This record gives sequence, structure tokens and C-alpha cells, in this order.
Amino acid sequence: MKMTLYILSFLLSLSFFAQNDVVFDKANTLYNEGKYADAISQYESILATRNHSAALYFNLGNAHYKLNHIAPSIYYYEKALQLDPNDSDIKNNLALAKNMTIDAINVIPEGGLSKILNKTTNSLTFDNWAKVSIGFVFCFVVLFLIYYFAYSSFRKRFAFLGSMTTLFLMCVTLLFAFHKFNLDKLDKPAIVFAQESSVKNEPNSRSDDAFNLHEGTKVQVLDTVNNWKKIKLQDGKTGWISSADIKAL
Amino acid sequence: MKFTKYISILVFILVTSMASAQIKFEAKVSKQKLGVNERLRVDFEMNQDGDNFNPPDFSNFTVIGGPNQSVSNSWINGVRSFSKTYSYFLAPKGRGNFTLAQATINIGGETYKTTPVKIEVTAAVDIPKDPNNPDYIASENIHLVAEVSKTNPYLNEAITVVYKLYVSPNIAVDNWNEIDSPRYNDFWSQNIDTQGQKVQNGTFKGEDYRFLILRKTVLYPQKTGKLDIEPLSLDIALRVPTNRRDIFGSPLMSRANKVVSAGNSTITVKSLPESGKPIDFSGAVGDFSFDVNTSKKVLDASESFQLKVAVKGNGNLKLFKLPKLSLPSSLEVYEPEHNEDINTALAGMQGSISDSYTVVPQFKGKYPIPSVSFSYFDLKTETYKRLSSDEIVIDVLAGPLNNSGDNTGVANNGKQPVTLGNHQFAFIKTKTEFTSVDSNFFFKTKGFWSLLLLPFLAIPLAIVIRNKKATRDADVYGNRIRKADRLAKKYLSHAKKSLGKKEAFYIALEKALHNYLKAKLHIETGDLSKEIINEMLGEKQVENEVILDFNKILESCELARYTPIDIVTMQEDYDRAAKTISLIDKQAR
Repeated sequence: MKMTLYILSFLLSLSFFAQNDVVFDKANTLYNEGKYADAISQYESILATRNHSAALYFNLGNAHYKLNHIAPSIYYYEKALQLDPNDSDIKNNLALAKNMTIDAINVIPEGGLSKILNKTTNSLTFDNWAKVSIGFVFCFVVLFLIYYFAYSSFRKRFAFLGSMTTLFLMCVTLLFAFHKFNLDKLDKPAIVFAQESSVKNEPNSRSDDAFNLHEGTKVQVLDTVNNWKKIKLQDGKTGWISSADIKAL
Repeated sequence: MKFTKYISILVFILVTSMASAQIKFEAKVSKQKLGVNERLRVDFEMNQDGDNFNPPDFSNFTVIGGPNQSVSNSWINGVRSFSKTYSYFLAPKGRGNFTLAQATINIGGETYKTTPVKIEVTAAVDIPKDPNNPDYIASENIHLVAEVSKTNPYLNEAITVVYKLYVSPNIAVDNWNEIDSPRYNDFWSQNIDTQGQKVQNGTFKGEDYRFLILRKTVLYPQKTGKLDIEPLSLDIALRVPTNRRDIFGSPLMSRANKVVSAGNSTITVKSLPESGKPIDFSGAVGDFSFDVNTSKKVLDASESFQLKVAVKGNGNLKLFKLPKLSLPSSLEVYEPEHNEDINTALAGMQGSISDSYTVVPQFKGKYPIPSVSFSYFDLKTETYKRLSSDEIVIDVLAGPLNNSGDNTGVANNGKQPVTLGNHQFAFIKTKTEFTSVDSNFFFKTKGFWSLLLLPFLAIPLAIVIRNKKATRDADVYGNRIRKADRLAKKYLSHAKKSLGKKEAFYIALEKALHNYLKAKLHIETGDLSKEIINEMLGEKQVENEVILDFNKILESCELARYTPIDIVTMQEDYDRAAKTISLIDKQAR
């Protein structure tokens, strides 16, 4: 009984996938004809089935860009980059979309060592880091047993060295997995959707304005109090913004 | 003939002189309206002498003086003029409307009467000390008035103050100079040129006056509440008539200096309503139109275009700031140039103000210039109004892409560089594979931890297994037993299954024993007799006892088919078979 249910749901999801492909092609045709708003609603209907892909987000961003919607286009390009961080098309169009934003924010450059560390950490997802470390665990165990059971001293030495190296590499990759996991947990980017929003010093409307942000600016969410979110800009400024003004990625 | 002509002329002249000599008898009062504390002079005047003058009854008045009689008799160019006057000075006894009754006189045998005169006596009035004082006359005959167009305007609503100098026809103004100009604190003020103004005729308090507009000022109140408009003071040199007359009968003028000032007027300035005040309200009051436009909409990078923000209309144009533009950061924007084209008339400021920005896009792309809103207070409807510009999109067609750090220009020696198409807006992607949004992660799950840690367990496990194996290998005797047991189990397993079922059990048991021997002694099924078995086992150095046991079991297998056997015996046979097999296996070499 349970088995049939699984099979049914699998088939259903398959049919969903197939249907989504049809909708995707249709939306692409609409886009090419210049009917960007129609294309957007088609793309969003795919999103409504809880399925996504980098290309889908990229196309949504393009359609919004064509309609001069600043914040949505940046939002979807960023979404696409999250799924496919190395795609040059997405980076290119994101740069064009960012030209439309008003706020100029200087990115503080990272120091040498932490830059290398972060770059390495971000090169794989934490799941992939975890898988790599498990691979190293198996290598280690096999090599260690070879060392233990081997008779020739050359083979023993070689296997021992290998096992120790893999053990070390396993530890390192595991650390990277944890580091990446923590980074992802702290990384809560959001895009400002309000055309202009004043960022306050405290999470209430009485307090003074710290600075103003405009549509399309990317911020990091640090904290939430009621309807206010503490945000941090790329240049290190912090403040509280109304939750309604931003949309989390 | 000539004589008759002369006579007729003479007669004509005589007749006319007769006609002109009509008798007049009149009552004249110095004023018809007077205060109860004032005095009244009544003259009864006649142009021929009469008798029997009979004054009216001055019952409502006290006669202070009179009757004074005066007679004048003059001959001018042979014409005689005569007048005789009886004068009375009267003081009213109370307030009210009174009528001076008729006076009568007998002239030439006929009785003449005056017309009755109505007198109104009002409440007491201030009596100037000296009615002939030039200052007094001047103050009665010259007035400086400030006319304020609106006394309760809104903040920043234009009001006008017009200073008018009213001069009675009786006096003459020679010259004037301002001794104190109003300073209009709390106002933004602008004077309107009044050079070349002409003297006009008008009325002031119901009397005919000449007036001159001295000054027109447009004021924009900058503060709410009661505000004073300071008076304007003038020192005027003028000539006033005296009661002396020159030999031609016209009154002599005397010079006087008079300081006049327009009264201090107070206006109440209303503050603009707080309800519905837009956030972007910058104080503009009036009636405006708002416009934002650009000189170009499509251009290349590093070309410049003008962006003009303009407000047109009537209102306090000089007194508010134009809304600031917030432009995309990748546009280079220079400080705006402010232009004003404003005429100030009596109705207020009128014209346009504009800020024009010079903008130079640096990179390729689309740059939306966001909608700018401008709010003002409309005086006609007394509400705030907001005007918004449309969003303008500047399309920069060619140019470097932002964020491309390696886009430094390489010196090209006269060759056409092939520009990379990389900086174009990328088209949508047409192929994709969808994944579920709700992804479940592998990291930190139970599966992950077990996969990570369980392989470590394999190491001690392997070590233990290896150690066990080593000890077993060392224990030769035990190994044999284990081997035999294993063999017994291997061959007797079928028999064990059918334990309890007599026939099947013994068939299986016998088969098992035969199979064992076949395997052990390498004999074919055909030549399996007791003798051969015994011989072979003997060769293999198996003890006789064991061989006997084996034979016994085989015998009991045969016997069992024909005898009733219970389960206990079967069990015994099974155990014995197992034991025998293991013994044979141990002893066989």
C-alpha cells in the first residue's frame, strides 16, 4: 500500500516536472515576443509548484529588468546566483540591473587570509563538503586496514602515510563543512523593495533616521524585533528597517 | 432815429437793473450738524434794508450772543450792493433734531420770511483748540492710509500693502520725504515700482480727495500668529489756507510741516493645516505645475544630458526649495544650476524656477530616473496637492559595463578594436532542470553522522576479528573439533529437519552418512558396502570402536524402517551419528 503511494507520488512529481517544462517553454516564447508581464506570471506559476532552477530565476530577473522593475530583477538574479554561483550570464545581467539602483555602497575589501578562507569555504556547499569528508573517512579506514594487515614494510609505510593524510584531510573538510554551514546560517541576504525606506536607529518609528535606502540595495539581516529587521550594509553600516520594505532572498 | 436808439438802450439797461434788484432774505447757519458742546451761528441776511425784524423762537437753544447787526453798503463800478445781517450765537440745550423757525421782516411794505433750517445736534465732539491752527487744518485734510489686501492670510500667502496719501483739495502739498520706512520683520517683502504714479481723484470718508499711491509692497508672511506691519511715516511740507485773505479775496496760505504715519496694522497669519500635510512638503503655497524632463533619453556612455526639474505658476516661488533628485549611483551628476524667472506683481510672484542637472552616464545600461513628487498648498481649495513626475528611463546604448575591472583601455595603434559582445544584456536561458524548492540537506543528519563515524568502528572490529582468527589458527585441536562439528551439521542438517518423522528421518540419516563417506573417502555410490567402508576407514587409521559405531548406526537405519521407534531413540541416533562423524573426521588421516 505504502509502496504504491510512493510510486504514485513519484509519478505525479514526474508529471509535474513535465508540465513545468511546457510552461517554461511557453513563458520563454512570451518573453521573446516582448510580453514580459505575461512571461513573469507563467514563470511564477512554475515557482508555485515549489520547483525552481537557476535558469528560471534568471529568466524572471530578465523579464523584470525589461519592465524596469529594479528590486524584483535584482532579487531574482541574486536567487539565480545562489543556485548557480559561477554563471557569467547571471553575473553580467546582475551588474546591468545594479546600475539602476540609487544607493552607492562601498564594499569593504576582505583581508588576505580570511579572503582565501572564505573563497575556499564558498567553493562547495556544506553538503558537498560533508560528502567529501565521508569519502575521506572511507579512504582512511581502507588505508589504515591495509597498513594493519600488510606484511611488507614498504606497503605498511605507504599505507600509514596515506591513511594519516586522509585523516587530516577528513578533519579539514569537516571543518570547512561546519564553517560553510555557519556562514550559510548567518548569511541572510535581503533586497530592499520599497522605493525609498528610512533606516532607523531603533526598532520603532519614533527613533531617528540613521540613513535612507533605495530600491534594489542588498542588505544582510542580522536580527528581527516585531516588524523590524536589523540590517547590515556591505560597508558595515547597521540600522533597523521595516520588514515590509525588504524581501529576504 | 439815432436818438431813439440811445433811449431804447438806456431803457433796456434800466429794466435789467430793476430786475437784478430782487429782494433776498435768507437764514444761514454755520453748520447743520453739531455736537452738543458746540456753538452755532445763525445769520439772517437781506439785501435791502427793512424794518420790523422778528427773529424766530430759539426755544431749543440758548442765545449766547446777538443779535449783532451789521450793514455793508458798497458801490462797485456804479453798482450798489447792500447787505444787512442779524447774527445770533446759539448753544444747543440738548441732543436732537431741531428746526429753526422762520424769521420775518418788512421790506418796502411787504413781509418776507426765511425758510426753516433743520439742525441736528449730536453727542459732544472734541473741539480743537484752535480751528485756525495750520497743524490742525493739515491733520484734518491730509491722510496716509495703508490698505492691506487680506488680514488673515495663510503662512506664505501673498498679501499686498498699498500706501495711499489722501490730500484734500483745500491744501497743497509741496514736498515730502520718508522719515521711517517699514522694515517688515517676519515677512518676505518686495516693493513694486511706483515711479510715475499720477494723482488720482477719489473719496475718503465720503469727501472728495485727491490721492497718490506712494508705495506698493507684496508681503509673504514667514511666521504664524499676530504680526505687525510697521507704519510708514512721512514728513510733508504743505500749505494750508488761513482765514486771512489777500486783497483779491482769496485766502492766504501758510506753510506748515506735518508728520503723518499710516496706522499700525496687525494681521493674523494662519498656519497651514497639519492634517494631510505631505512628507515632501517644502513650503510651497500657491498654484503650480511641476515638470521633470531630460534633453535626451537614448545616448552613449560619457555623453552628457540635461535633466531639468521645473516648477511654474503663482506663489512663493522664491521661498521654497525644489525637490532633490535621487539618481542611480552609477550616473555622474553635477551640482544643479538654479534658474529663476519671476515677475512680482501686486498679485504675488509669478513665473518659474528650475534646477538643471548635468548628468553623465559612465556605463552601459538602463537608468531609471525615479518619479519625483512636489507638494504645495493650494489656496483656492485650501488643500495640499501633490504633483508627480513620470519615471524616465535613460537608455545608455554603448559603453563599458559596470563591475568590469579589466576594462582598461589598451593603446591601439590606429587599428579598429574588436569590441567584445560580452557586455550585452544576456538573453534568457532556454534549457533547465527543475529541482524542488524544499531541499533537504544531508549534512548533520543521522545518515551523515553514521557514515562519518561507523567506518572508524571497522578498524577495531577488523583488529578483533584478526586476533580471534590468529588464536583459532593457533588452537589445532579445537580447530579440528570445530571442523567436524561443522561437517556434521552440514551433512545432518536435512536429517535434523525431519526429526520426529521416522521414515523420512532415517532415510535422510542414512543418506547423510553415505554422503559423508563419499566425500571423505572419495568412493563412488555403487561400491558402497560395509566391507569396503570398514577397510577404507581402517586404512585411514580410524579406531575400531568408531567404525563399529558407524556400522551400528547404519544398521539401525535399516532396522528402523521396520520397527516402531519413538522420538527419543531418533534423537539418540542423531547425536550418535553426529559424534561418530566428528570422530571419524578427527581420526582419519
